[in-house]
Amino acid sequence: MSIDTKFIGKTWPKLTYEAGKEKIKEYAKAIKNHDPYYIDDEFAKKSKYGTIVAPPTFAVVYGAQLIEPIFFDNELNLNLAMLVHGEQEFEFYDMVKAGDVLTSEAKIMNIENKEKLDVISIELLTQNQSGNDVCRGIYTFVVRK
Amino acid sequence: MSKASLTKIEKGQSFSVNEEVDKYRAIYYAGASGDFNPIHIDPEFGKMVGLGGTILHGLCSLGFVAKTVTDWAGDPGKLKKIKCRFASPVHIGDNLSIQAEISEVKGNRGCLDIKVTRDDNTEVLKNVYAEVEI
Repeated sequence: MSIDTKFIGKTWPKLTYEAGKEKIKEYAKAIKNHDPYYIDDEFAKKSKYGTIVAPPTFAVVYGAQLIEPIFFDNELNLNLAMLVHGEQEFEFYDMVKAGDVLTSEAKIMNIENKEKLDVISIELLTQNQSGNDVCRGIYTFVVRK
Repeated sequence: MSKASLTKIEKGQSFSVNEEVDKYRAIYYAGASGDFNPIHIDPEFGKMVGLGGTILHGLCSLGFVAKTVTDWAGDPGKLKKIKCRFASPVHIGDNLSIQAEISEVKGNRGCLDIKVTRDDNTEVLKNVYAEVEI
């Protein structure tokens, strides 16, 4: 069954995420990124950011909590067994610093019905506690029919 | 520890890095990202669904690419955009080759076209593109 295109524009409630310093270090090490900006407190303190910052792709960590409710949305009813991550895009604005409180919201940007598959694109917009944009992420999933 | 920062970007500049997908990489990434899909952590499940074992998270590969760019740029704040299509699975034990080239300089942005291949030369990510601030 195709994903109904009437869900284009659907949004979910905003969620907040506090970017903890040790979580940032854990994520950086998991992607084999030992850049001192992410893991060295002394270096980070003297850097232009004044504290530990998150690798740009840490966006997937604070973004994950928004993707989950979409995957399990009863109305949208995505067939997760047939779903794969097709494409990913990020635009980065302000850096995420340790201790930042990030607020994100998700919206279905597009749904395309093709012969053998559907393509669904979800836009995640994140701002920090100062109201500055931090990241725009576009997650594109392919669902085979 | 100090770090060099990028001062000049010109069309045609290139750089490359190899990244080994060590045996436990997908486990580390699952823990850090919260993505415990069994295709990434359970070899038996991976075989059952025809993947021949576990495969690395696509977003971990993209994380490697972002790292390659920010290491080159010298400052993680310079990465302004990155995108890719997940084309082929990356298996545990694969070696990834990440090759980037400045395709264009637009105003204060350097545009990078990036090729990401595994040992058998298959492109695992396609249409990989990044922008860095100059």
